Amino acid sequence: MSSSVGAPYNDWRLAFLAPWPRPVLALLALAALAAVVLAWLGLRGEARAGRRAALIALRCVAALAALFLALEPALQLLQTARVKNRLAVLVDRSRSMNFPVEPGGEPRAEAVGRFLVDSKADLERLGSEVALEGYGFDRDAWPADLSALARAGAAPGGHTDILAALRAAAGGSSSSGRRLAGVLLISDGADNGALADGVVPQVRAELRALGVPVNTVAVGTEAPRDLAVERVAVDDFAFVRSTLTVEATLRARGFGSEDVKVVLRREGAVVAQANVRLEPGKELYTVPLSFAPDTTGTFVLTVATPVLPGEAVAENNSRSFVLRVIRDRVRVLLVAGRPSWDERFLRGLLKQDPNVDLVSFFILRTSGDNPGPQEELSLIPFPVAEILGEQLRTFDAVLFVNFAYQPYRALDIEHYLPNLREYVKGGGAFAMVGGDQSFGEGHYAGTPLAEVLAVDAAEGLGATAEPFRPRLTPEGRRHPVTALAAGEGPNEAAWSALPALPGLNLTLPLPAASGARVLLEAPSIVANGAPAAVVAVREVGAGRTLAVTTDSSWYWGFVAAEEGQGNRAYQRFWNNALRWLVRDPELTPLQVQPDRPTVDPGEPVGLSVAVRGPDYGPAPGSKVSAELVSDEGKVVGHAEGVAGPDGVARLEIPSPPPGAYKVAAQAERAGAGAERATSAVSVRSTGPEDSDAAPRPELLREVAEATGGAFATLPRHGLPALRLADPEVVEVGRRKDVPIWNRWWYLALLTAALGAEWVLRRRWGHW
Amino acid sequence: MRRRTLLKMAALGAGALALPRPVRAMGDASRLTIGQIEHGGRWNPRPAALRRLSWELTQRTSIEAAGDAIPVRLGRPGIHRLPMLYLAGDGALPPFAETEIAALRRHLQYGGFLLVDAADGSDGTGFDASVRRELQRLLPASPLGRIPREHVLYKSFYLLDHQGGRVLTKPWLEGQVLSGRLAVVYSQNDLGGAWARGPLGEWEYECTPGGDSQRETAFRIGINVAMYALCTDYKDDAVHLPFILKRRS
Repeated sequence: MSSSVGAPYNDWRLAFLAPWPRPVLALLALAALAAVVLAWLGLRGEARAGRRAALIALRCVAALAALFLALEPALQLLQTARVKNRLAVLVDRSRSMNFPVEPGGEPRAEAVGRFLVDSKADLERLGSEVALEGYGFDRDAWPADLSALARAGAAPGGHTDILAALRAAAGGSSSSGRRLAGVLLISDGADNGALADGVVPQVRAELRALGVPVNTVAVGTEAPRDLAVERVAVDDFAFVRSTLTVEATLRARGFGSEDVKVVLRREGAVVAQANVRLEPGKELYTVPLSFAPDTTGTFVLTVATPVLPGEAVAENNSRSFVLRVIRDRVRVLLVAGRPSWDERFLRGLLKQDPNVDLVSFFILRTSGDNPGPQEELSLIPFPVAEILGEQLRTFDAVLFVNFAYQPYRALDIEHYLPNLREYVKGGGAFAMVGGDQSFGEGHYAGTPLAEVLAVDAAEGLGATAEPFRPRLTPEGRRHPVTALAAGEGPNEAAWSALPALPGLNLTLPLPAASGARVLLEAPSIVANGAPAAVVAVREVGAGRTLAVTTDSSWYWGFVAAEEGQGNRAYQRFWNNALRWLVRDPELTPLQVQPDRPTVDPGEPVGLSVAVRGPDYGPAPGSKVSAELVSDEGKVVGHAEGVAGPDGVARLEIPSPPPGAYKVAAQAERAGAGAERATSAVSVRSTGPEDSDAAPRPELLREVAEATGGAFATLPRHGLPALRLADPEVVEVGRRKDVPIWNRWWYLALLTAALGAEWVLRRRWGHW
Repeated sequence: MRRRTLLKMAALGAGALALPRPVRAMGDASRLTIGQIEHGGRWNPRPAALRRLSWELTQRTSIEAAGDAIPVRLGRPGIHRLPMLYLAGDGALPPFAETEIAALRRHLQYGGFLLVDAADGSDGTGFDASVRRELQRLLPASPLGRIPREHVLYKSFYLLDHQGGRVLTKPWLEGQVLSGRLAVVYSQNDLGGAWARGPLGEWEYECTPGGDSQRETAFRIGINVAMYALCTDYKDDAVHLPFILKRRS
């Protein structure tokens, strides 16, 4: 402050010294105005315009002079200074700055370093006007010394967000308190943040809201030779057996005319491919790749092109994504050996279910029947080759209801039994329902189909017409198929209340090692020394099978309804059975889900593993583990944990290398066997910085234009003539008021004006 | 023993041999056994009718049918073991008790099926008047209506486009619908009269005016009705349509 005492005044402004408050001043102004208006009203009768004008002018002069004297105006002399504002120099430190300025040229980061060295003198000259602040930026901005930035070398940042960097610079260092005069932004413009889609109206508004010119220096003029899978457009999920089209967008720069093969791989196997002809001058190509997923689940798919000679980036020639394949409706094939009540009620149940797409084939006549001329019948030939051959894998579940394969020699159904077996082992679902043409009675013993049945359909055991009440086995008490009610007690009570059944096929249980489990048995009927199985299930290969050895499960619905129980037990049983057969996720005891289907390179893979107990409730305390398995079967990551109170364990596998992985989870449940579940996750081979090597000088030009800044390119231009906001002026020292109202002539003027008006009014007769 | 009696007994024996009596290891529960409703009127005017229909079913189709119908009383337990019921009569019948109507309604609502046959061929009187009254009580929300020619009932096994029976009182069948399916089918043409065959193999009643052709149609209707009861709209599945359209053209 002492330094400013002797300094001269360098600014002034008009001030009013009247001590009165503003309302009083306003009243005085109104009084002056009223005096003029009254004069004008009083002179309306004056015929001579000159006299009227003269009198009103004298009144105006008097009013103004009186007001001037009342306000007491003065000149306020000031001592002021200009504040030295900031110039933020933002230097792009994202990885795209490691690409060359032009094909074969130096890296962009090096060009920027040289530019900063070359411009050092010019920037220092600006130091007399503005304070220079250096920042490096990628996703965020951070203060950095410009000399250090010039020497920094390769850029490491995984993202570029120019707008966020500008906002951070506008905020500035809180200690300086200086306003921002402008920004010098040095970048290749390869933004993958808010400016990824260009300077759209919203972004333009945000840039203008910064309130300072952004001067831009674009480094890089020409994209290097590169072929990239830039984008893959596909829904998050697809329906099994429905054709799905994956739309891949390729970006090709620097190529002549040549053909490129684009492939779509699912876990290593090519499921679709297409050829694209690259043409000079054309950058973007859209390639549709169609395929029909043949099974449900979560899969990693990869769109890939070959790496062509001279490409700047090899890693962006493939892009992986995760696809969840679900069923739209459960497609069920129901084959019945003859019309029966068992078939009738099962068909009715399945037809009513909107989630089931039912295809039925019933044998309505046999070769021994004689219904009359064929053309008078509505019967069609059983398309066995189509249904049990070509189309078999389009079904989620196949049900044989009292259906024998032998009587129809002409159809040669036996020929398709191996296909049925492979269908099951490959992940299909099959149920055999009892009757005098099923299991041993249907002579299935020793057939390929018998290898996957849930019971041993031994020949010669026959069937029985002895009524029985089925009973849950220990496995049946906790299995979802036989869960008629929640909780063991209510469930057993529900089964006990059902009517007795009139008969069943006699079969033998399979050893536990086969994956088969008897869930419901007939305690009063013994086959080979053990209670006969009524309901059994089996996991075989990747598929599941169910055996219901009675042809009267409809008793649990229609007959139970007469006894006042309704048909809920029947519906529940068959709904459970179908859902279990087709692996309804709700009935899976273990589920694994990645936090995100695709992660960036270097990021860990987060997993949620949910474990259910034998009662299908949460299983806290279960030990779970998960591993990432590559296409080649190599384990690349592993994590272990324990399920929390909600039965969910959170696992994190440290950053695996880029690629597509199957997530294989396993849980050890108390009182139950190990469970396994799979999912999929992909780790990007390139982040957004590496996927597109092209600079975007036009984006930087738009930023400069939107904010009123200058634009230049490297290496063609040097530092542009920077446009900066005017510095802020602040009062830093003394002030002095010099009154200008206290001159005698202002009072004389007032008196003269009033006197002249008085004299003239008297002479002209207005008094 | 007189010669006529001997011949009669021999014919009976031959008939018994011809009837379907396969030994079933699993019992008769899953066979098509028709329950014939006992009521206060003449409830069994054609005792041989259902036996003959069962025989024809076994001979012509893969349906396993029991030989004899089982008489059932609606108010007593057990009718749900027989999902297909047959209600016939000759002349008026007294109203069913409320409990009987409720039991029959429950049977149909849970998937049962009822074939009604006017043995007296009446129209507006006799059995017809009585049974219409009872069917109205049974399913008041689903009045009897003519079953259209396009209905799957007329193509569930045979492709049919005309009616059969002992008489031709009405050239159509009527029905009551529950949850999109026919729960009740009513014929005024005395189907049982056309089906009934005596112990000596003679037809018990003449079919007028169409004779044997009309009788054959009555059997075909009976078979289609049984097939519909067991398979419902199976023949409406898309896979059958091209074949049926071709044969109908």
